[in-house]
Amino acid sequence: MIEVVDLTKSFPISRQQRRELAAQSAAPSKTAGRPGASATNLQAVAGATFRCRPGRVFALLGPNGAGKTTVLRMIATLLRPDGGRISIAGVDALADPVAARRRLGFLTGSTKLYERLTAEENVRYAADLHGVAAPDYKRRRDALFGALGIEAYAGRRAGQLSTGMKQKIAIARTVIHDPEVVVFDEATSGLDVIAARAIIQLIKDCRAQGKTVLFSTHIMSEVTMLADDLAVFHRGRVLAGGGLEEVLARAVDEHGQRRTLEDEFVRLIDAAEAELGEARP
Amino acid sequence: MSSPALVVFRKELRDTLRDRRTLVAMVVVPLLLFPLLMVGMAKFSQSRAAEARDKTLEVAVADAELGPDGRGSGLAEFLRHEPGFAVTEVQDVTGLPEQVRSEALDAALIVPSGYAAALAAHYPAPVQLLHKSSDDFDIPRTRVEQALARFEQKLLDERLRSFGVEPRVLDPIDVQRTDVVSSRELFGKLLGGLLPYMFIIFCFTGGMYPAIDLAAGEKERGTLETLLSSPASRLQIALGKFAVVTLTGFTSALLATVGMYVSVQQGIEGIPPAILSAIQSVLAPGTIALVLALILPLSVFFAAALLMLSLYARSYKEAMSVISPLMIVVVVPAAIALAPGVRLGLVTALVPVLNVSLATREIIAGTAEPLHLALVFASLLLLAAGGMLACARWFSREDIVFRS
Repeated sequence: MIEVVDLTKSFPISRQQRRELAAQSAAPSKTAGRPGASATNLQAVAGATFRCRPGRVFALLGPNGAGKTTVLRMIATLLRPDGGRISIAGVDALADPVAARRRLGFLTGSTKLYERLTAEENVRYAADLHGVAAPDYKRRRDALFGALGIEAYAGRRAGQLSTGMKQKIAIARTVIHDPEVVVFDEATSGLDVIAARAIIQLIKDCRAQGKTVLFSTHIMSEVTMLADDLAVFHRGRVLAGGGLEEVLARAVDEHGQRRTLEDEFVRLIDAAEAELGEARP
Repeated sequence: MSSPALVVFRKELRDTLRDRRTLVAMVVVPLLLFPLLMVGMAKFSQSRAAEARDKTLEVAVADAELGPDGRGSGLAEFLRHEPGFAVTEVQDVTGLPEQVRSEALDAALIVPSGYAAALAAHYPAPVQLLHKSSDDFDIPRTRVEQALARFEQKLLDERLRSFGVEPRVLDPIDVQRTDVVSSRELFGKLLGGLLPYMFIIFCFTGGMYPAIDLAAGEKERGTLETLLSSPASRLQIALGKFAVVTLTGFTSALLATVGMYVSVQQGIEGIPPAILSAIQSVLAPGTIALVLALILPLSVFFAAALLMLSLYARSYKEAMSVISPLMIVVVVPAAIALAPGVRLGLVTALVPVLNVSLATREIIAGTAEPLHLALVFASLLLLAAGGMLACARWFSREDIVFRS
């Protein structure tokens, strides 16, 4: 279970960023108009609340710059929120980030391996950091390497492997400690079909094993294929959320016609932009 | 099950030892530089000096006092009896400067007209020496001047005898000089100034590549997020990485010492045995251990500074451009220690890098005062602890770790 309540996060704006923002001030931008934005701070997340349940896949959907990565980084305890509460499998992530990280697997699209280490050493390093005992490691490693088809590459240095193979090793590394919660930050972004498919299969497997899965994406097909629940994120806020079926059921146009998820997503973003445009001086 | 800091340390060490660039900077260069440098320089200097010393010098003498009877100043005749001189007598002096410049001649001596008159009037008689300063340690000029000095002594003796004076009466005191400086003190000042300079550079460069790779490199490769999302705390991660950078820096300085010690103990051809034995006595294992004890806290301080700068940088390239000029900052205090008159005192004992240089010099010379050494250790340990804490704090700062 992941529980996020009223999460907020702002970042100080550098002088250079301020200059860039001033230059863009005439045109709407991804940073302008956020609630709580000031001359020195950028409000990246403003009161986000959602809940991801075990055995279900939760999709965080939003355009680039919506604040999805910031939310996921706060869940992974890489960033500390300014306010709000995060619970990971019953552990208060702000009070005990180390315990929260023990229950978590985190994979991003930009995740890379240690190229001078072998595939096995990369996975073993993650297991050792999570304190996985030797017999458990052997059992998990054999199962994962077998399922992912990477056994033959275990002794090879990561730098000599193909992108797809590297991604499979990154997957093994993410779940070697059998986490209760798995978080994917645009994990399929920039991958070829084969590598992306491995990630998608992992998400499905995690759900089947009763794990809590949270993933961020801007690819609608992935959401419709994988998600049980979703939240549409825009400029640091949750615009809409709930079960996928529920959201789609609500997505009906003025003629009573059902909208696709993509159409509904665009409508929500446009409406939020229009609202911000009116609110802006 | 190991502590996460130990897990990070083991992994980073393995990773570092597989990096060829680090291995070259940390192991190969420090281990081989001293022996190669010492052997190479000794051989080169010896061969050049021997060549200059044994060479027969081509010297032209233009004697304006030379009369039809063949008698002149007597200088050409005197030089002909000196070993290692090939003398040519010439009349025209106009081409001599060019011949010396083009090294057709090693030197030329011009005895102008008026030489004999000045000598007869008991005035200093003029003799002009044309020479070219060379990279042969100026041995040709020195040899000509030594021959001239002997010629002058001969004339002086003749002059004194003409006055009925025995030349030895002009030397009422026969000074018997004995230098009581110990070889340790003599070479301590010399080597003690130079060695820390080398150790400090190796200590810095040995830790430089690993520090850049372990922080900025990890950021750039996109592996830092994975590490930070593991149960290892920021302090444990910082400690693991920090220990590797300290170890590589210290190992580099240690290997430089080993390289130097072994080459000195084996004996280097070209260095006179007396000097070599003096250097061997200076580089006693106890002295080296004490110097390395100073290098250890310095390695810790360097590791903290290098890792912090590397973590602050956005990329490997940026870290490189920030850290490389820092080497000059490190070298300057070490170089100041080479200046005459700069000594280890209550103030200099507190200046990082400078204090290590000066303390090493005093230790090797055997003139170190315990209070000053204690101050150096205390200030270095304090600095190392401060650096370590600051480094751990930076790993917890998200504006540094996720700086983009």
